[in-house]
Amino acid sequence: MRVLGRHISPGWLLVAPLLLVVLAFYAGPLANILWLSVTDPEPGIGNYQKLYQTDALGRILWTTFRICLITTFFSVALGYSVAYAMVHAHARNQHVMLTFLLVSFWISVLVRTFAWLMLLGRNGLVNESMEAIGLISEPVRFMRNELGVLIGMVHYMVPYAVLPLLANMQTLDTRVMAASRNLGATGTQTFWRIYLPLTAPGLIAASLLVFILSLGFYVTPAILGGGKVLMVAEYISVQLLVTLNWGTAAMLGTLMLFSVLALLWLMSRFMQLSAAFGGGATR
Amino acid sequence: MQDKQFMKETLIESAHAYKAGRMDRRSFLALCGMAGVATASVIAGDAKAAADHVVMWNWGGQSVECHGSAIGDAFTKATGLGVKYDTSGPLEGKLREMVDSGNVTADVADGDLFNAVSLGPTGHLEPIDYSIVSKEKTLPNYALEYGVSIILYGYAFVYDTEVYGDNPPKDWKDFFDTAGFPGTRALYKWANGSLEAALMADGVPGDALYPLDMERALNKVKSIKDDSIYWGSGSEVHSMCVNGEASMAIIWQNRGRNIETDTEGRYKLVNNQAMAMPGAYIVPKGNPAGRDAVMKFIATAQEVPAQLALLDCLGMTPSNPAAFGEIPEDQQPYAITSAMNIDKIVYNDPVWWGENGSEAVNAFLDAIS
Repeated sequence: MRVLGRHISPGWLLVAPLLLVVLAFYAGPLANILWLSVTDPEPGIGNYQKLYQTDALGRILWTTFRICLITTFFSVALGYSVAYAMVHAHARNQHVMLTFLLVSFWISVLVRTFAWLMLLGRNGLVNESMEAIGLISEPVRFMRNELGVLIGMVHYMVPYAVLPLLANMQTLDTRVMAASRNLGATGTQTFWRIYLPLTAPGLIAASLLVFILSLGFYVTPAILGGGKVLMVAEYISVQLLVTLNWGTAAMLGTLMLFSVLALLWLMSRFMQLSAAFGGGATR
Repeated sequence: MQDKQFMKETLIESAHAYKAGRMDRRSFLALCGMAGVATASVIAGDAKAAADHVVMWNWGGQSVECHGSAIGDAFTKATGLGVKYDTSGPLEGKLREMVDSGNVTADVADGDLFNAVSLGPTGHLEPIDYSIVSKEKTLPNYALEYGVSIILYGYAFVYDTEVYGDNPPKDWKDFFDTAGFPGTRALYKWANGSLEAALMADGVPGDALYPLDMERALNKVKSIKDDSIYWGSGSEVHSMCVNGEASMAIIWQNRGRNIETDTEGRYKLVNNQAMAMPGAYIVPKGNPAGRDAVMKFIATAQEVPAQLALLDCLGMTPSNPAAFGEIPEDQQPYAITSAMNIDKIVYNDPVWWGENGSEAVNAFLDAIS
């Protein structure tokens, strides 16, 4: 016991129960998925070969990647302006804004998805009003296509983009910007050459967070896409529940897991991840 | 997995024996201990209780109430066994997982007959005992080794009378004719029904559909892709119609009836070339209540009063030919085997779907996305 104690810090004893729970209920099933991807329906790498043997899988992965990328771009762009406004608002207004932001986390994704259908659907408020004032003669197809999916996803993701950006912007030393103006730079110059580079860690953290969360979107594409926008999450669920191709499902799950890990690793080469997710600008 | 399955079966057997007084409490508890089941949970729960009720695995909603009044009451009266419900929806993947894990908690699943073809041979289902269940009380091709059709549902279509008031669409050919009948179509996302409709629209006779010519069907589906949206659940297609998003929609008949009511007749159901789909009761391998009890439950559901009650309550059409003639006047348009409809419908082949369903669904998803 004493020999052990010398090598292992007693702190480990405190976290040991948690570690065991994580191992048993998280790592175990996860390993099972990896195992399934090379054993079902028969042992070998057949499931992975499907990736380049069939066009269908490639197309689904490409759709997922494309939609996540566009979602990330718009969410972070919108989130940036929201965070910027919040940082520069009066303290009291800032609290109100933060409350609204947090409240939006409580509204379920289903409710939001259906709200968009009511608003932008064929006979929705927007189309009816535009028709009534003669702007359009035919209803615009906002929903049940890729545009609908993007609107729904960006709307859901903006608050996720705001939080890391906000944390980042709050730590900036405003005297740097004042110095820049003092040395003769215009407001625009100060923003592009001082402010934006300083918020780069926040931007990267927000993009990463939004992109990774977007990869797993299921409800929004399934409903707003009208069946035409098939993303990986929905495809995995079909293979699990309807067509019983558990091997394919496990392979796709594994692929997603390692893509996310690879993304995180790539980011860790450029910055300290803990700083990114903690929102701090400096090491 | 086999071990767990074996232990579970041993336990259930002994639970029955314990209940019937053939085994004393001490031996029963000892067996539970050997099987690794905490005795407290056994006394309070599963294995012991399993001996006095049947668990029906259905899709929730109205079905709990309807299955209770249509089948459950008569079954309890005849056998003294109760009926409990699991409303999580017996999708194939969930059923396979349940049996593989050795923790079978349902006795009978309200599934499709093609499930019996795909899950039966892989050892996930109990065979139907046709000495208790009757082959005569369902349609001839719908009594299979691992499942028996209890009700039929149908794929028909509804159209918007405000769009096609003067010249209403009559059949699948019109449904797929976007030049003659412009407007958005809603199709079923999981291929079933949509493929057959496409082939009939392309000129294949209703009695020569199987084996499905996938390429031909998918080309037809793709030909109207720009004018199509796809639904995955009954409530989704319901809202597509009520909100005027779709001018025509492939639909389950009982849902079609709800839409006619909700839109006050603006949408109208067309039963011509409707497709009869066998909904079936299937039994997960090693079901807790035992084979005898669950077969009696299935046999109860085949009786004419139960069949008519299911139609009245859930809008599911009888599959027992003896009940066809007794379908009430006001239900006739919405019952696929009623005298009004039976001559113009086609029949789904569960064997083809059981054997080829996975590839068909994936090919369909690939074509529409």
